[in-house]
Amino acid sequence: MRTPARSGTIADVGRRARITRSGAVLGHVLVLAVALATTAGCTVSRQEPGQATAAVADALAQAGSAVETTRLTVRLLDADRVTTPVADAAVLDQVRVLEESTSALTTLVPPDDVSSAQRDAGLVAVADATREVVAARAWVAREAGGDLSEAGAVPLTASELQADLARAADDLDTALALAGGA
Amino acid sequence: MKRLLGVALGILTAIGGFVDIGDLVTNAVVGSRFGLSLVWVVVVGVVGICLFASMSGRVAAVSGRATFEIIRERLGPRAAGANLAASFAINLLTLTAEVGGIALALHLASSVEPRLWIPVAAFAVWLVLWRVKFQVMENVAGLLGLLLVGFGVALFLLGPDWGELLRQAVPPSPPATEHVATYWYYAVALFGAAMTPYEVFFFSSGAVEEGWTAKDLAQNRVNVLVGFPLGGLLSVAIAACAAVVLLPAGIEVSSLSQIVLPVAEAGGTLLLALVIVGIVAATFGAALETALSSGYTLAQYLGWSWGKFRRPARAARFHVTMVVALLLAVAILMTSVDPVAVTEMSVVFSAVALPLTYVPILLVANDPEYMGEHVNGRATNALGMVYLVIVVAAAVAAIPLMIATGAGS
Repeated sequence: MRTPARSGTIADVGRRARITRSGAVLGHVLVLAVALATTAGCTVSRQEPGQATAAVADALAQAGSAVETTRLTVRLLDADRVTTPVADAAVLDQVRVLEESTSALTTLVPPDDVSSAQRDAGLVAVADATREVVAARAWVAREAGGDLSEAGAVPLTASELQADLARAADDLDTALALAGGA
Repeated sequence: MKRLLGVALGILTAIGGFVDIGDLVTNAVVGSRFGLSLVWVVVVGVVGICLFASMSGRVAAVSGRATFEIIRERLGPRAAGANLAASFAINLLTLTAEVGGIALALHLASSVEPRLWIPVAAFAVWLVLWRVKFQVMENVAGLLGLLLVGFGVALFLLGPDWGELLRQAVPPSPPATEHVATYWYYAVALFGAAMTPYEVFFFSSGAVEEGWTAKDLAQNRVNVLVGFPLGGLLSVAIAACAAVVLLPAGIEVSSLSQIVLPVAEAGGTLLLALVIVGIVAATFGAALETALSSGYTLAQYLGWSWGKFRRPARAARFHVTMVVALLLAVAILMTSVDPVAVTEMSVVFSAVALPLTYVPILLVANDPEYMGEHVNGRATNALGMVYLVIVVAAAVAAIPLMIATGAGS
């Protein structure tokens, strides 16, 4: 026995199929429109003042960690307690951390004068810290036997380098305090 | 005497094989940010892995079959297929993290860029999988992994204030400087690191590889109940070293090079060298286990011939699966993704996938058709149910916590 057709003519079936297809297309267009509207809201980075300050504090804390890691590494290498490959890897990793901190600050759009000042102070402190950590890497390379004796930017002694790093850490702390951090 | 040596070897390899890149990174990150305030999670994780590893070992020893064969038979192809897809993906992520971990550890030893080490590490893993016998592979990696005891030695040499460490651990609470959500995010990550799903697949399949029977159950229990807790102590030592040296200096761990600095501080270059060899061995051993787990899960689900006890030509698709998994891991790592970030992701997603691994084992271990008289006892089931709740809670909370905390940042 044949099952009775659920619809009348073939033309009816075609019409219904077209209606279903156009309904599906309309649904897809709506989903796309909602997705575009949602993501379009994200294209302009807009933060509340508190969020911007927290972002500055996070970036400075990250930079502070990088400087402290470098100080520890330099102290250990100076005392012959760490191998030069490990010291080099440790300092190189901190250069990358500082790049991330710089990126976090440079891509921030401060919503008011206060967070703008915090961001600017943070940028200066992180730039200074980056310079000292890069110098520390050159010092590590010289300790490893690299031919860098004539390079003027390389600190001559570990204590000289430690003093520069300590100053950079203090500057970061000052900037962090300005951003309401510890 | 021979049996005693076998037990000792089993315990030692269980200790040495306990720590992988996930444990290393997560414990060091947690130690540098939270001190020992999350040490309770390691305890919970170790008890959990002891419970489920001994259960899966018992299932394999009694039934003579590995986990995924039974999961498919017990749950049906569709549910087991979904389980396979999730487990395989998490396993691949973990394998990627382990291969990246080998490359990072070799970078520490040589200063040669990690990206140059990645293909070398993957090739070495494949070569061992292809050529070396299962027991030799497991024992050598496990015994060399024991060099991570260097973290424990370092902790004693640092001469910490033990009272202060105890105060951090008990009662457990987040430090004032950290948000509660971040604390719980890392609790879930640490739990995922301790109970990584691949360990269970590897453990049950390894039992079949080594031809365990019901007679081996006692030795299995001793290996797990003694070896894993001692391995857990290594995890605590890693966290404690970070808590003693890095936390007071305001250093947050974001790279493998920072994890070994407390060891250098305590024991100088000799202890540092030993620990780096231990890290290479631990990550290499875990890479072998995760690569094997990729082959085990897929082959067992699809009914292919599998196992290291067969010559590669007789388990060709099993070996091809491992090669493909390794190539995928290398491809992911060569995109310059940070292996430490991959590791952090892998432990969190492991937590998400935990119920998929542990629920079926609990079901099978209670099925008299497979287990006969060796079904779970009341105490094991009661503990199993408690862990079921914990595992589901961790799985449900993992992703929301990751989003809410910006992956713990």
